[in-house]
Amino acid sequence: MLLSIFKISGHSMEPAIRDGQNVFVSGISYLFSKPKAGDIVAFRKNEKVFVKRIAKINNDNYFVRGDNREDSLDSRKIGWINRKEILGKVIFKISNY
Amino acid sequence: MKINSLFLDFLKFFPTKVAYAHCDIPCGIYDPHMAQMASHTVIRMTQMLNDLTAEKDIPFEERKKIIHQIARLTKVKEEHAELVKHEIRVLWADYFKEEHLKKYPDLHSLIFKILKLASKARQEINMDAANELLENVQKMAEIFFETKGLKSVRVKSPYPTGGEIVLQDVRRPQ
Repeated sequence: MLLSIFKISGHSMEPAIRDGQNVFVSGISYLFSKPKAGDIVAFRKNEKVFVKRIAKINNDNYFVRGDNREDSLDSRKIGWINRKEILGKVIFKISNY
Repeated sequence: MKINSLFLDFLKFFPTKVAYAHCDIPCGIYDPHMAQMASHTVIRMTQMLNDLTAEKDIPFEERKKIIHQIARLTKVKEEHAELVKHEIRVLWADYFKEEHLKKYPDLHSLIFKILKLASKARQEINMDAANELLENVQKMAEIFFETKGLKSVRVKSPYPTGGEIVLQDVRRPQ
């Protein structure tokens, strides 16, 4: 995946990304470098695409969580995600589209 | 401003997919009981709609009462068919996981079938669709209990619809 637009469903990434916003996800960003802690990434898990922020890294495994931590379904529930499951990095968001 | 607007118009040609930023509290409390109850309600409303009769050329006041009753029964049927869909979507999206799909490869198609049947039972006065809806919701309920490592049992429902409901079988060792 080179570049895709995703519409966000849910509040777990607020305030950085709001429910209903559209984000650009770039697969190119990780062609030459690895995902870093703090990056907001899109990844595929259980046949669905999620958007979360990387909190910890252990080799090729990434612990992700939502910014809105009180209510976020994240790695505390879904476990560590593997590098192969990461589709790309959220490079920017669009408010009204 | 104009460039920004043009850019946004241009973006509309890009296909957009959904990415989830769930904020569901992972409470782990799920139960197929509501979907079953709502399916029974759809059956009951369909029965009651089918039971309505009227003589030809009845007085306006009588006709008004019947139309009013049809409206009420239809409203409840609509609401409960939608409730079935809501409950099933929650189980599908939030409870069932990849390992469940591996063990029950037909789960996706079962869920899809339930959602379509709920729509059909909602759109029509169709007893076959309503009965089939309940039967498939119960199949899903049995899978639900199995995924939790629990035995389930079909018991006679206490509702005027008759039929059965699927419950956790507390009589058998789990």
